[in-house]
Amino acid sequence: MLLPERQYRIIAEVVKSKGRVNVEVLAEKLGLKTSDIMRDLAELQSKNLIIIEKKSAQKAHLTEEAHRYIDRGFPEERLLRILIERKEINLSTLRENAEDFGLIGEEVQIAIQHLIRLRAVEVREGKIRLKASREEVEIISEKLKEFRRKLSELEDSVVEDPSLIREYLRRGLVKLKKRSLIWIIAPSATLEMYERGELKPAKVVTVVSPELIATGKWREIIFKKFDLKVEPPTVHPYRKHPYMELLDEIKEILEVMGFEEMKGPHVELELWNFDALFQAQDHPAREIHDTFFLKYPKWGKFADKSLMEKIGKTHENGWITGSKGWRYKWDPKRALRLILRTQTTAVSMRTIYERGDGEYRCFSLDRVFRPETLDPKHAMEFYQLEGIIVGEKVTFKHLLGFFQEFAKKLGLGKVKIKPGYFPFTEPSVEGFIKHPELGWIEVFPGGMFRPEVLRPLGVKKSNVAAWGIGIDRIAMAILGISDIRDLFSPDLEFLRSRKVPIIESIYRW
Amino acid sequence: MPVIDVARWDLERLVGRMLEDEEVEKYLPMLKCEIEELSETIISYEATHDRPDLFSAEGLARALKGLLEIEVGIRKYRVGEDRVKLYATGPSYRPYIVGAIVKGLDLDDESVKQLMNLQEKLHMTYCRNRRKASIGLYDLDKITPPFRYIHVDPDSVRFTPLEETREMSLREILEKTEKGRLYAHLIKNYETYPLLVDSNDVVLSMPPIINSEDTKVTEDTRRVFIDVTGIDLDSIIDILNIITTSTAERGKEAVINLVEVQYGENVVVVPKLDPSKMVFEPSILDKLVGIKLRADEIISLLRKMRLDADISGDKINVWIPPYRVDILHPVDIAEDIAMAYGYENIGYEVLPPTGAGKISPIERFSKKIRDLMIGLQFQEVANYMMNNPKTLVEAMRLENVKVVEVENPKMEKYTALRNWLLPELLEVLSYNKHLGYPLRIFEIGDVAIVDEKEDVGVRIERHLCAVVQSENTTLTDIMVYAKALFESFGLKYEVVEVTHPSFIEGRSGKLIVHGEEIGLIGEVHPEVITAFGLEAPIAAMEVNLNSFLRMLLD
Repeated sequence: MLLPERQYRIIAEVVKSKGRVNVEVLAEKLGLKTSDIMRDLAELQSKNLIIIEKKSAQKAHLTEEAHRYIDRGFPEERLLRILIERKEINLSTLRENAEDFGLIGEEVQIAIQHLIRLRAVEVREGKIRLKASREEVEIISEKLKEFRRKLSELEDSVVEDPSLIREYLRRGLVKLKKRSLIWIIAPSATLEMYERGELKPAKVVTVVSPELIATGKWREIIFKKFDLKVEPPTVHPYRKHPYMELLDEIKEILEVMGFEEMKGPHVELELWNFDALFQAQDHPAREIHDTFFLKYPKWGKFADKSLMEKIGKTHENGWITGSKGWRYKWDPKRALRLILRTQTTAVSMRTIYERGDGEYRCFSLDRVFRPETLDPKHAMEFYQLEGIIVGEKVTFKHLLGFFQEFAKKLGLGKVKIKPGYFPFTEPSVEGFIKHPELGWIEVFPGGMFRPEVLRPLGVKKSNVAAWGIGIDRIAMAILGISDIRDLFSPDLEFLRSRKVPIIESIYRW
Repeated sequence: MPVIDVARWDLERLVGRMLEDEEVEKYLPMLKCEIEELSETIISYEATHDRPDLFSAEGLARALKGLLEIEVGIRKYRVGEDRVKLYATGPSYRPYIVGAIVKGLDLDDESVKQLMNLQEKLHMTYCRNRRKASIGLYDLDKITPPFRYIHVDPDSVRFTPLEETREMSLREILEKTEKGRLYAHLIKNYETYPLLVDSNDVVLSMPPIINSEDTKVTEDTRRVFIDVTGIDLDSIIDILNIITTSTAERGKEAVINLVEVQYGENVVVVPKLDPSKMVFEPSILDKLVGIKLRADEIISLLRKMRLDADISGDKINVWIPPYRVDILHPVDIAEDIAMAYGYENIGYEVLPPTGAGKISPIERFSKKIRDLMIGLQFQEVANYMMNNPKTLVEAMRLENVKVVEVENPKMEKYTALRNWLLPELLEVLSYNKHLGYPLRIFEIGDVAIVDEKEDVGVRIERHLCAVVQSENTTLTDIMVYAKALFESFGLKYEVVEVTHPSFIEGRSGKLIVHGEEIGLIGEVHPEVITAFGLEAPIAAMEVNLNSFLRMLLD
């Protein structure tokens, strides 16, 4: 097994200490701080090479008094040495001139007490006198010397059995403090692996060079372990424009629902944008507040004069549609006025004109224009999603069915419907969906194209369910945008950091 | 669409009983009215353009009484025997006038307010801001029939206009009163101005500008004379029918007296209060709406909508009151029935697809190109099609290039349609100057090119434009991507040198495939770069994707 060099040294030290060593001792031996080796120890433990044992134990700490005694000897030692010389001292002299005898304060009393207990002296008639024989004194001296040596070794040592140092504790020379101790233990398997040379020190490598891979030297290295919690730097992908991407997905939903995409020009004849839709020429939507009129080019042309005539008559008196018409003089010139289309319904008109009766359904997802001042809520240019379902058996009920189905596919929930009004459909309906923040918002206007719209275009038998959807609002909700201008944001950082649009319902099946 | 405020107590007075909130919330939407505010004192709702009869409390109450089944079928108004004469000799630019008299009114502050509001809402909508028609109401006790609609010299007559304290000449009124200034454009260019006077030459009004202060309707008025002038006789009769019947709702004993309008030899008797008949085939409900109803059910629903109906063979004769100007065709009757039936009761049915769906070729192809450009590490951007000639033409050093321009722009920045994509990509670079280099962006979008061959005078093309910008960009930096683009589709292409004002001479070319030009490539001219507030060199290509796709299919 390959081990990073430091970990190998740790194992070697533990082995040297016969498989068990205190962590602090270990660190000292390695010449490192305990905190420096904790991570290695944890890794070794996870490799089952060591066991980290945490124990709480008592440690000895010498008092100031003890340190003094270690340096200068116990008071009784000092007094004994004096008595060996002088045999006998007046207690009063001793007490009064203690410092002359090398004793301070209470040390006189301590020294006397202990010498008495050791049966080295006796106190009689105000005098202290050596009592023990020369041999006895020598033994006592040795005993005290040993007692002092042991004391000096106690500092910072682990005290497993406090009764062994009872004497020191009693004399207040040693204090015990509780501490937690970490022992590093190598199980026998580790010892054996070490002995057999199965553990080897190796280099830790972060970047694996082609050379290491090619030469096979990667076998002798250790791959530095990465901390997976560390966040990497941010990279934004080169991406599709989120709005364009979303529009593509919506198109796919419609494709699956059997709709064919239709296309038409952004510059349009009023004929297709309004007249074909039975919007009277003095209808307010046809005024400058609601429609961009072209300054250049100004007028278009249209070859099918018979269609123009049919549309005109329908406006004037209903033609053969069964309608009363709008009862005014229709101006064919006005129908050729060029505008920026205000609704993609113009594209539906062109499609129906081209295809007539039949069974088909088409959609358009394209831009329309209205004279608005660009602000967070309004735009002069926006996308409209528009569709028609054509067929002899198509009814209003199917339009309502389409709303429910499409809302479900877009993940918008149930559609609430109310009667609505549009000049070119009857019956007309407005579908509302519940927006989590905005409440009920109107997103599905629609209706059945009026006979005044269909007959001039050549539709005799079919009904046409038509709907138009304010896709911007839905897109803003999906993209998490609250300012409509952000749909066309020029800010590259903004575009690249947008979340990828997900129409959840597409992914749940 | 107009928003109407009514006092709740007034509406309840007209309906004849208290209204629950739930009833208001249920029935107003059935009349296509959207509730804006509903409180103990006020009901505010948005009515639709096609139902001017709902523009005031009187009309709404009339309709609600049907839905609440307090009073169903056509509302009948009492018509008096006496007729009043009105001589129509108005100006040729506004020749038509009609009138009516309503007696037995019981007015108060609120009802006068409602009638004035109705008049105002009609002016704004159906009357096309008074251009098409204008309405006047007068206290009949203050004037003496017969009435005369005439046109006079602007300085020849003086009267005290509404809300004023002194007499003014007609010319002065146009200059000095608020309404005068607001509507002066309708008459001021003519030599004579319209005037409505009574038999004693007392001025009633100066249509379509203002009424006289002396003849105005107050809470004490018991009898009114109503006039509508305009440019189309049928329209003003419609309006007269609405305002007359609404006014007649303001008196339990109200009686309408007809007016004989004398146009030279011809006499028109108005208002037209008789219901009109429309034949309705019940099968239309099944075929168009998807509901099957028996004739008696249909009749009862129609009566709730305040129409009358009777069975005639397998058809139903529907009788439409004069104020229902929205009913042009049997489909409008079908909608009334559907609304009375309740849209929520229709249910819904999902019609399975009749054929395979298709995404248009150019859209599908655009998506492919988009994928490829992303793969080449370009960021996609999307810009408005609207821009202005200064950016599209001038800043690009172009001359004599015509772009599609609008007559009524709302903002200086957006007055035209883009004819190519490059200028807007340069705007994007300009916006992102702070990001540092290199920048690689592209757009796929529609451009509008003036083309007389097209019916709409304009050809829409789908373009791809890609630009590269860095401190050391040269033509080569875009050439590599052009190569990648064409070769990815196995297309052989050539670059033929071209002189183009937007690019550096000797560093720009036409992209040619199969001998046809399908795009431009080049290093953007330093003057163009500076015009967009940029510094670093830019290389760009713009390709017509419609042509590109055609080449692939050929």
